[in-house]
Amino acid sequence: MAAVGALVVPAQSTELKMWILSGNPGNAQFLTEAETEFQKTHPDFKLVLEQLPNESYKTQLPVALAGSAPPDVFFNWAGEYAARFAKEGQALDITELGAKPGGFKHSLSDAWQSSFELKGRNFGVPTDAVSKYFFYDKEFFAKNNLTPPTTFNGLVKLCKSIRQIDPSMVPWPLGNSERWIVNHVVTMLNERVLGNANTAADYDLSAPADQLFTNPGYVEAWQKLVDLQDAGCFQDAPNATSPEAADQMFLAQVSPMTFCGTWCAATFDKDGYTGYSLFRFPSIEGGKGDPAATFLVPQGYQIAAKSQHPELAAEWVSFLVSNEQAVNYAKLTAAVPSNAALIEQVGGTEQFNWFAKDIAQSTGSVMVLNVLLESAVSEAYLDAGVEVLNRTKTPQQAMDYIRGIALQSKARLGRN
Amino acid sequence: MSQVQTLSPASAAERSRVMSTATSSALMLAPVLLLCGVFIFIPALLTVAGSFFSFGVTSPHWDFVGGANYARAATDPVFWTAMKNNIILVVGSVVLQVGLGTILAAILDRGIPTGSTFFRTIIFAPIVVSSVAVALIWLIIFDPNTGILNAIVKGMGLTPPPMGWLGDPNISIWMVLIVGTWQYTGFMMVMILAGLQAIPKELYEAAAFDGARGVKAFWYITLPGIRNVLAVAALVTTISGFKAFDLIFVLTQGGPANATQVLGTYIYFQAFKFNDMGYAYAISVVLLAVAVVLGSLQLKSNRRA
Repeated sequence: MAAVGALVVPAQSTELKMWILSGNPGNAQFLTEAETEFQKTHPDFKLVLEQLPNESYKTQLPVALAGSAPPDVFFNWAGEYAARFAKEGQALDITELGAKPGGFKHSLSDAWQSSFELKGRNFGVPTDAVSKYFFYDKEFFAKNNLTPPTTFNGLVKLCKSIRQIDPSMVPWPLGNSERWIVNHVVTMLNERVLGNANTAADYDLSAPADQLFTNPGYVEAWQKLVDLQDAGCFQDAPNATSPEAADQMFLAQVSPMTFCGTWCAATFDKDGYTGYSLFRFPSIEGGKGDPAATFLVPQGYQIAAKSQHPELAAEWVSFLVSNEQAVNYAKLTAAVPSNAALIEQVGGTEQFNWFAKDIAQSTGSVMVLNVLLESAVSEAYLDAGVEVLNRTKTPQQAMDYIRGIALQSKARLGRN
Repeated sequence: MSQVQTLSPASAAERSRVMSTATSSALMLAPVLLLCGVFIFIPALLTVAGSFFSFGVTSPHWDFVGGANYARAATDPVFWTAMKNNIILVVGSVVLQVGLGTILAAILDRGIPTGSTFFRTIIFAPIVVSSVAVALIWLIIFDPNTGILNAIVKGMGLTPPPMGWLGDPNISIWMVLIVGTWQYTGFMMVMILAGLQAIPKELYEAAAFDGARGVKAFWYITLPGIRNVLAVAALVTTISGFKAFDLIFVLTQGGPANATQVLGTYIYFQAFKFNDMGYAYAISVVLLAVAVVLGSLQLKSNRRA
């Protein structure tokens, strides 16, 4: 009788509300399949999945977290975005919950866990990291004897060659209507020109005021963007073109290359286009950066501090990064999972295998500026990208503007 | 000598009637006053109070900063860009929407041979479409790669083709103004047309008898006749210009590089994107003050007129 009583699980609500970004192919399917698997050990579990587009996600999430019915689990990027919710007490400290049997601490390396750490405590679980590469049309390159460039000058030359082949062809469509596209390019240009070590103190505003963002390499990086534009790499109106439109130009093979996130692979695969290959962001001649450093933004899930089911939420996110689920995640989303224990079982596409290997071999990571920088400085960088492309600001004027905002932020935040 | 006054039965009844009217008026207005208090005045007071603090949507604490948020606005170039854009939208909208609305109303009022109802419906149609749908339609028109506007410009042999209409900081606010004009001119036209049709025809006949026709009749009869309607139209347009948000939010998100930022969008971004509610409150108070001052001035000038 007592044994039977021990098997009875007290009835309780086990519905979890989860917010994710929309537009990531395979992600919703992965979560739905994971829900079915999770229900085998948690029969009452029910997932309420809500998907929001990128821009509205960033604005609606803080409001929801401040409200009375926040999502229990929510997607977030590592870095400033995640740290903000941790500092403001909106994201749950899941250090102890993650250390329980089956918790994410047993599945993920310390390096991965650190991406959502603040003062040694875990405020999130990384699921994967996104990177960016040049995707190129193999057939077009082969037909015109073009080769992927390894240097910046080679990239400039490549754009010019493509324009010579067909002047109306846009070598590298740039959809900067949401501003983050050029920001990603400038992120890499800064790294390649200056190197991570020379930017760290500026990026976290700890450099002395008289030195903050004064390295001439920043201007040089912006100038490289102008050089690319002058070489005819981009179309006429990058600031008025949406990222989706730019992706479509590559997908429709009217443009032979694009600088796209690893998430793009899933989009292209879904649309049946597999005739592409990839190459890294080239090194810059004389630059201080590491040519093997890769654009890398960890992302994952946080749990709302107000969640009514913190333990269940922690079990759920830990389950999502378990060995088996990580394999399925990689298969369905073409993402590089944080838990790579069974990565060889993924059997992904040629492109997936390429960037998974490349990320594993990278000797450094480059965090994207609009996630890394303090919000006002990040905005300044985003706006400067628009103005430099529009030629309403020169590279020097762009940096003067950014430095001015950075000085204000440094004073306001008291960073020494 | 005592000043005791005695009320005659008639005046007592009158007083009682007045009291009763006042009481019933107060009772009838009470629900509205209560709603206004709860949903307008109390939030407005809280906004003014909040503007002296630094806090975010998710911040656990409010830090008192005095007038720092207002001082920041005074030196914030984006705030002034937003204010300038609001003024551009207000002045541009009054001139274009009310001006074009008047011209169109005058044409329709003079009676075009056929299809008056058809033209009225067509011109009025954009106002019944939501601003989000209007913005999406114009996004397609303005698209630099596939939009019809660039195709027309190219077709006209103009080279080089213009940069993206909404992607160029030098012209984007004017594009927003054009879209707003397209959407609201029909509404102005209908309003002014109603005013025009209220002018007695005898006035025109008498003026014609005295030799005043065409522009003279328009200047001396039509314009004075619709003065009040024009004043209301200008007031509505001014308020709309300062409340601008939805069209800009969908068309440009305040970009490129803040070129189409208005106070409404800037408040939204400060509050929900930069998590700076105190500053957003301060800008809201400034916007409220500007709108109240302008509205009062306009109402005062209308009364004087």
